[in-house]
This record gives sequence, structure tokens and C-alpha cells, in this order.
Amino acid sequence: MDQHLKHPTAAVVPTLRPTDFEALGTQSAAPMLVRPSRSYWQDAWQRLKANKRALVSLYLVVGLILFTFAGPLVWRVDPALQDIDQISLAPGADRRALVVEPFAAWNGVTEWAESQGQRGLRVADSPNTQSVRLKWDPVAGAGGYMVYRNIYEPEGRDSLGLPLMQIEGAQNYYEDRLDLQPETYYYSLVPLDGAGQQGNDYQTVTAEVRRVITVDEVIARNLVDDPSALMPGDEVMLAWHPLGTDYLGRDMLARLMAGAQVSLFIGLLAPLLFVSFGVVYGATAGFIGGRLDQLFMRFADFVVALPFLLFMILFQVVFGIGPGESGIIPMMVALVILSWPATARLVRGQILQIREEAYVSAARLLGASNKYLITRHMIPNTLGVILVTLTFAVPTAIFTEAFLSFIGMGVAPPTASWGSMCNEGLKTMLTHPHELIFPAAMISITVLAFNLLGDGLRDALDARMRSSE
Amino acid sequence: MLGACLAVRDDCPNRFYQIDRDMKQSESQSESTQSLPAQAPGDRLTQAASRQLALYAAIVVIALAAAMFGLNYLASLTSSAAGMSRQAVDVENNIITSYLREEPPQMNSLRSSDAVSSMVMAHVMEGLLRYDENSQLAPGVAERWEQDGSTVTFWLRDDARWSNGEPVTAHDFEFAWKTVLAPATGSQYAFLLYPILNAEAANNGEISTDEIGVEAVDDRTLVVTLETPIAYFDRMVAYMTFMPVNEAFYEQTNGRYGADADQMLYNGPFIMTSWVHGASMQLRKNPYYWDADRIKLDGLNYAHMTSDSNTLQNLFKDGQIAIADLTSEMLEEAMFQRWPLSQFMEGTTFYTEFNHRPDRLTRNLNLRKAMLLVHDPSELVNRVIKLPGYLPAETLFPRWVEGMNGPFREEYPLPPLQRDVEKAREHLQMALDELGLEELPPLVFLSSDTPVARIQSEYYQEVFRRYLGIELLIDRQVFRQRLEKMTAGDFDLVGAGWGPDYNDPLTFADLFASWNLNNRGRYSNPELDAQVRIAQSSLDPQERTDAFGEIHRIIREQVVIMPDYERGYVYVTDPRVKGIVRHVFGAETDFTNAWIDVDAGDDQ
Repeated sequence: MDQHLKHPTAAVVPTLRPTDFEALGTQSAAPMLVRPSRSYWQDAWQRLKANKRALVSLYLVVGLILFTFAGPLVWRVDPALQDIDQISLAPGADRRALVVEPFAAWNGVTEWAESQGQRGLRVADSPNTQSVRLKWDPVAGAGGYMVYRNIYEPEGRDSLGLPLMQIEGAQNYYEDRLDLQPETYYYSLVPLDGAGQQGNDYQTVTAEVRRVITVDEVIARNLVDDPSALMPGDEVMLAWHPLGTDYLGRDMLARLMAGAQVSLFIGLLAPLLFVSFGVVYGATAGFIGGRLDQLFMRFADFVVALPFLLFMILFQVVFGIGPGESGIIPMMVALVILSWPATARLVRGQILQIREEAYVSAARLLGASNKYLITRHMIPNTLGVILVTLTFAVPTAIFTEAFLSFIGMGVAPPTASWGSMCNEGLKTMLTHPHELIFPAAMISITVLAFNLLGDGLRDALDARMRSSE
Repeated sequence: MLGACLAVRDDCPNRFYQIDRDMKQSESQSESTQSLPAQAPGDRLTQAASRQLALYAAIVVIALAAAMFGLNYLASLTSSAAGMSRQAVDVENNIITSYLREEPPQMNSLRSSDAVSSMVMAHVMEGLLRYDENSQLAPGVAERWEQDGSTVTFWLRDDARWSNGEPVTAHDFEFAWKTVLAPATGSQYAFLLYPILNAEAANNGEISTDEIGVEAVDDRTLVVTLETPIAYFDRMVAYMTFMPVNEAFYEQTNGRYGADADQMLYNGPFIMTSWVHGASMQLRKNPYYWDADRIKLDGLNYAHMTSDSNTLQNLFKDGQIAIADLTSEMLEEAMFQRWPLSQFMEGTTFYTEFNHRPDRLTRNLNLRKAMLLVHDPSELVNRVIKLPGYLPAETLFPRWVEGMNGPFREEYPLPPLQRDVEKAREHLQMALDELGLEELPPLVFLSSDTPVARIQSEYYQEVFRRYLGIELLIDRQVFRQRLEKMTAGDFDLVGAGWGPDYNDPLTFADLFASWNLNNRGRYSNPELDAQVRIAQSSLDPQERTDAFGEIHRIIREQVVIMPDYERGYVYVTDPRVKGIVRHVFGAETDFTNAWIDVDAGDDQ
């Protein structure tokens, strides 16, 4: 009511002065009720930013691209370099190692100062990851010996552990080199009778194995600044592998980066190619329509009906991958040839719909050319859908690559790919899980990130959702 | 994995449609999701719907679980082991349960050629000779035997019986061997009998089988005439192809001999009482066996036919089988469980074979020497393959090969293989000079696709690249494809292996003779050929052994191959079962000497 009274037009004006007719100027007290003008892309970006999941996914994708392309510049380790001293090493394992002389076969005669004077089964040299040397006093009447090794303390004749070697004849020493890790081993010796049968007596000795590295290896791997000052017995730190190593001692981090290059190459290039082809194909069919449309779409149906995996493998065979050649290019060609119809159908549907919209008819009536219609109406209205298709196609392609590499149809060794790394890691899943977990996690995170980003983009780019805010 | 990928692929078109559909619904949806504070009336409906969905999901999960248990129960009713003891060791009935790697294609000793048949055959049949508990040849049906030049005479024991009570006679052997060689039989292993006079010609259909040099002089004397005198014929007759067949019974089976448990006549320690094809076999003690006192078990069940190592390990863990091979994955658990482990060397050697054809670079000796000089089998086996039971190979001849008075390798020692990078590079330079090359083009390494071969090939790739700068291209092929490529000579190096066919070093020694078709690299050296001929034809053991020693030396000096590893297994046995023997020849796993030690089971 108050407002009503104060309003100049509502109040009774007794007299009019000339000042009443002056312009008010620009200092209007009324607030601007106009929204800031935002372009379609700005609007989409705003909405994407508001979507937390999509934003996190976007960061992940950016991080992944950095990891793939900038990573190898920072982490300069050859992904194919094998470090036999550090095979299947878990991340964060102890890297200290003693420097020793290069390995030379042992004749069983020399003995360590510490074991001299000991009787029975004894460790004849400092036990290390290079070799554990065992020596024993001959057992009367023995026709041979069986050497066992265990990682748990034996509790009786039946639990001596892993049989290492059956020694025939009078040889009274054995040098164990099988997969020695820096831990405690229990070696047991069972004498054999004349016919080669094992008796019930046994002797056990404990060996605490230390990790060692040879001088040559230290120099070859460039582990110290001044190799000439290196003496056997010194302690060095082995090469650092933040994510551990695989079954041939190759750095997991470097291999993951190398694998990412393969995965992203396929994952980005293949969708780009087949989506572009699908767009052109579908748009042509939809825009021209009629018999051509029928013809085009029936052909697309035909391609969809082809069994994907079978044809993928057939293509790879037909392209003929020679020994040592990578199957990546044939894989990409096969992916492009078989994957475009989905995009083509989608774009055709969009174009058909837009073609019948009132504003297109209006533009036609006003004499707009086909070129104008395409650039002004068709492309901007389908672009969102195309982008979404693209982001959904990326994880599919990455997953396909990983799968084909997993079944051994992808990269040639020693090149790594996430799929092939998973395949290799699977075999040691129980003993060295990190070899499977890291590549599998990379595949999962990448596919999830692209999917969520695609989801977010779909919401953000949908023009009809603009009004809901 | 396959299903997953297909599903993703199938998803694609649907998902795009879904986007379309979602767009149409997006108005209402986006309002409900994006303006949460103002509760729309539709939300209650959504909540109710999701509750209902959750309920359905729970019901489905429960139903699936119930179905699984039900099916599992049904499966156990109809299982292969139904009606059979499911225990690894049946102390009451004195029966052991074990497994077969696969179903034997047939139990017809005339035609069988596979290891599984051979293993079962060694339990239910007995040839002239057999392998004893120390893997040594022992008299079987033959009491004694004698070789005089090219004539071998076997005297059969008079108490050997078929499982129908009839005596086993020399005629049964004559009939069996002649039937093996008859072209109509089509036996794949007929070639094993080729040392017998006229055997090859008869097998090729050139002459009648009557002219084959094997004759039953009387019921208890078998005289074999050989084509040329060979020193190892007695070692061959323990093989299953040489086992006897009762003629009357064979005729009566109408060509179904060995196809079923009742289509066979047995003369071995056990008889087969049931054979459920693809599922199980039951063996029981043969009362007619001449040495029945030696057999301590009353029966043996092969209750499972599978080669999946995980399944076998689980079966062992559940106490359903008495023996199982271990993979390195299970080793730690096996030690933790304190299972008794044993080792068995299969007797095979694996090596990398060079292609010696004239158009190949690997024909160059210095190149081969350079590669051998950086090759370290000990590193390969101990640090890269690191499977329990594998041992580094030093030569083509495996450890079990005997010389005159002891291990062959000790009598003819070779210098140990030691990596010497400098010397290797010298040889490589010489090779390049001889070949007139600046740089070596990449070499093709043909490899099989087993896990071990994979690791090995990638390790080689790095070793030769690192020390010699030689690039290896890995050509990974499945077994048959690899064999085809090997035969065609489509490789520079190939990972190969060889197992013995009979207990004589010759089974390895003639491998690189220029006429041997298994010499895939086409190595040809008159010097080596001459030694192989001596080993084949000489009857003097010392002369033969020396010839083997020469072959051994030539193969190393000429670097015909690079030795990789000898394959073995680590296996676990039930502590209550004693006396299981594993042979390089004959039955791979031999239960004929096994017995159940009840006391050993008490602490289990």
C-alpha cells in the first residue's frame, strides 16, 4: 500500500513544473533483469562445472593425458629394460643390496670362514640372492642326496618343503640359485640309499639370504656416481621402481606409461575416425533422404549385423601381421570399419528430426540455401550429440584394445599395453598381485572417467535442458 | 572376458538410443535431480519404485544363489565319482584315488600312442620287460633274454596268466607285433618295431607280415630277428606297443578291442573293472598276475579326468586325490600346509634350435657362437622361469642319460656355459665380417604360446639386444602352427624340446643327423652323421658311448643348439601313500609299488 501511495503516477500531482519533464538519465534504481548473454558453449561449460562427477572425470582425463605424454619425459626409464636383480618386486620393497663379485660356478671345495669346523650340513659361503652354497660331510652308505628348501621351519620328514635337486653319487655340495629372495630359508638334506630311495633321516640348516648385486651390474645400471671407488661389501641402493617391477624386472610405471600411449592412441584416434565417418554418412542419408537414405541405412544394418569379435580377428589375420609386428594398426582399421554404423544411425535420426522443425521450414521459406541450413541449423544442433557419442566411444575403444591385447592379438613384445600387461599379471595374481592390479586399475579408471565425462557432457550439451536452470 | 566385451559392443547402439530417450525425459528428470530442496511430488513415487526395485533385486540374487546350490547338489548326484569312494585314500578297502590328465583315446596297445594310455596300460598290462620301482628294466613276462648278434631270444615265465586264467604265451606276442605292423591296423607307433627284420617293408605293405622276423618257437620261447644288430632292442620292448594281445579274445571283440573295460584281456598287476568314458576308471587287483604278492594295493580309482592344475590342487586340498602336480603359485601354500613334496624330472630337454639352411644368417658359426656366449641357462631357469622342478640344461643329453659307469655327462664333460660378453662381441664382429654386413638385420625367434615360452622369448629379446645389439622378432604361434613353420624352415631361431622315445641315448643322439626329419634346422654335418651311424649299428657299448660323446662335443662346438632347460615337476602326495614312482619311460605315475601307510595319516 505504501508503495502504491509513493508511486509518482498514483499520487495526485497538483502542479506540473518544467523539471518534471527532464530526462531521468541512466541512474535508474530498477535492477537489470536481463541475464548475461552466454553462448551455447559457455552455458554448457557452466553446467559441466556444476556437475562434480563430470568435473572430477575431466581432471582424471587431463591427468591421464599428462601421464601418457608428459610422464615419459619426467620418468625416463626404458619400459623394455629388464632388471634381472629385481624381478616381480612389489612397490616399496627394500632396495638395499650388497656389492659382490660376479658369479662364478663353485667347485664345492672352498669354504667360508664362518662355517669352518662345523659338521654335517652347513652353509659354505655367505648366503645371498646370487647363490646359497651348501656343503655337508658325506653320510656313510649314501648313494646320493636330496636337497630340500623351505620358507617355513620343517616339522618333520614330510615337511621339508621344495625338493631342489637329487644328487647322484658322492658329490657333497650343492649350489642353490633358484629364485632366491632376501628372506630366511631352511635347507634340508636327505641321504639316499644305494637304490636311490630316500631314507627317514634329515639334517636342516638355516640360511639368511641377503640381496646382492654384482659390480658389473652396478656399473651397467649406473647406480653410483663413482664406480671406481666401489668395493665388494659396499652397500648400494638398487634402481627405484615406484610401482614395482614385472616378471622380467621391467619398471611397472614406465610400462604403464608406454601402455597408456597404445591405449590412448587406439582410444582417441579410432573413435575420432569412425565418428567422423559415421557423421558424414548419417548426415548425408538423413539430409538427402528418400531412396538413398534407405540404401545407406540398410548397408549400415548389414555392418551392424557382422559379429564384431570374429570379424576383428579375421581382419587381423587378413591384414597379415608378421613376426614381431604390432597388431595395433590392423586393430584400428578393424575398429573403424566395424564401429561407424552406430554414429551414422544416431546422426541420421537427429538430422531427420531437425529437418522437420518449424524453424528450418521457416528458414527454407525465407530462401535459405542448403549450405546455410547445414552450417546454421544442422551442425550446431547435432554437435552435442556427436560429442557425447565420441566420449562414449573412447572407453569402448580402449576396452576393446585391452581385451584384444589380453587375448594376445594386440601389441608385439616387448611393447606393453594395458591389456597385455593384465594378461601377464594374471599368471602371478596370487604371488605378485601388483602386476595385475596396476594395469587393471588403469583400464578401469580410464574407462570410468571417460564414461562419466560423457555422461556429464550429455547433460551439459543438451540444448533443451538450458531452460531448467 | 569374451562375454564382457561382447556386452560392451552390444551396448553401443542401444546406448545411443538411450541418450535420445533420456533427452525426451530429461525435463522431468533434471528437475527432480537438480532442484532437490524443493521436493517434487514425483519423488515419493521414485522412492517407492526404487524400493520395489531393490526388493526385486534381492529376490533375484537369493533365487540365483538357491539355484546354484541346487544345481551343485544335482551335479554331485550324477558326478563321475558317484558310487565311487570320494576319498583320496580308502584305508578300509585299500584303494587309492588319483586322476588322469585326459581320457585315453583307446586302450588298444596295438594302436595307442599317447602318454595317458601308456600310463594306464602299465598298470593293467605287462610286456616282456617292465620298469621296477627304481626305474630300472626288470623281467616282466619274460624270465630272461639273450641277444646274439641280430637274434634276440626271450624265455617266458610259465606262471604268466591272462585275466581269464589262460597262460600268456609267445604266440600272444608274435600275434600282437605282427598285427601292429599290418598296414590295416594303421598304428602310428609301428615305426618303433622297424628294427625287426622286414618290419618296415611289411608295414608298408610290400611283403606279407608272415615274413617279419618274430617267431614263437614254442609257447615259452620268442625269437626275434633284427634287421641289423642294435644294442638297445631289449630297452624298447617295455613300451606299450610291444605288449601281448590274446588272439582268440582279439578276434572275438570285432574290432572293439580296448574300447571298453570288458573289451580287453589283462595280464598286468590290475584289471579294469569299469570305464565311464570321459569321467572315470576303476582298477582292481588282478588275482591271476604272476607276481601278485608284490602288489600291495587292492585297487586304484582314476576318479577325475582333467588337466587343469587349479582343479587338481583343489581336489588334492579336499582330500579327493592322492597326488597332484604343483604350479609355482601353489608352492607357498604347499609349504605352509606342510605337504610332502617330491620332484620328478620328465627326461625332456628344451633348447633353442638354429636354422642351418643356406639362406639363413644363423648358418654362420661365429654368429651362433656369439649368441651361445651370452646365453646363460642358469639365469634363465633360476631367475626368469623360476618354476620348481626346472633345471638348467647344459647339452642336448639330459641328466638321466647313463654313460658306461655313471652319468654320461660326467664321463664326457663339457666346459660350463659361462657368459662372456667380450668374447661374444669378438665372434659377432667376425660373423659380420664374414657375412659382409655392417649391422645384423633382426632375427626371427619362433616361439610357442605357453607361459614359459612367452617369458623365455621376451627374456632372449632383451639378452641379445643388450649384449650383442641383435634384435629378435618374436613369432608366437600355437603348437600346430609352430610345427608347420618349423618344418617349412620359416624361422631363424626356434624354441624346441625333445623327449625320449626309448631308454637309449640314441633317441637324442640321432636328432641332428642330416636324414632325421625332426632336425628342423636342417643341420647337416658328415662328421656327426658318421658318429650317429656308429651309435646305431655298433654292439660294443664302449664304442657306442664314445660315439655319443663325440656327438655331444660336436653339438656344443658347432653350436647346433643353445640348451635351455630340462623340464621337471614338483608334486605333492598324500602322506599316507608311499611308494608312488614316476618314470621317464613307461607309466609317468606308477602306483604298482604303492602302499597305504595308515600310521602316517594319524597326524593329518
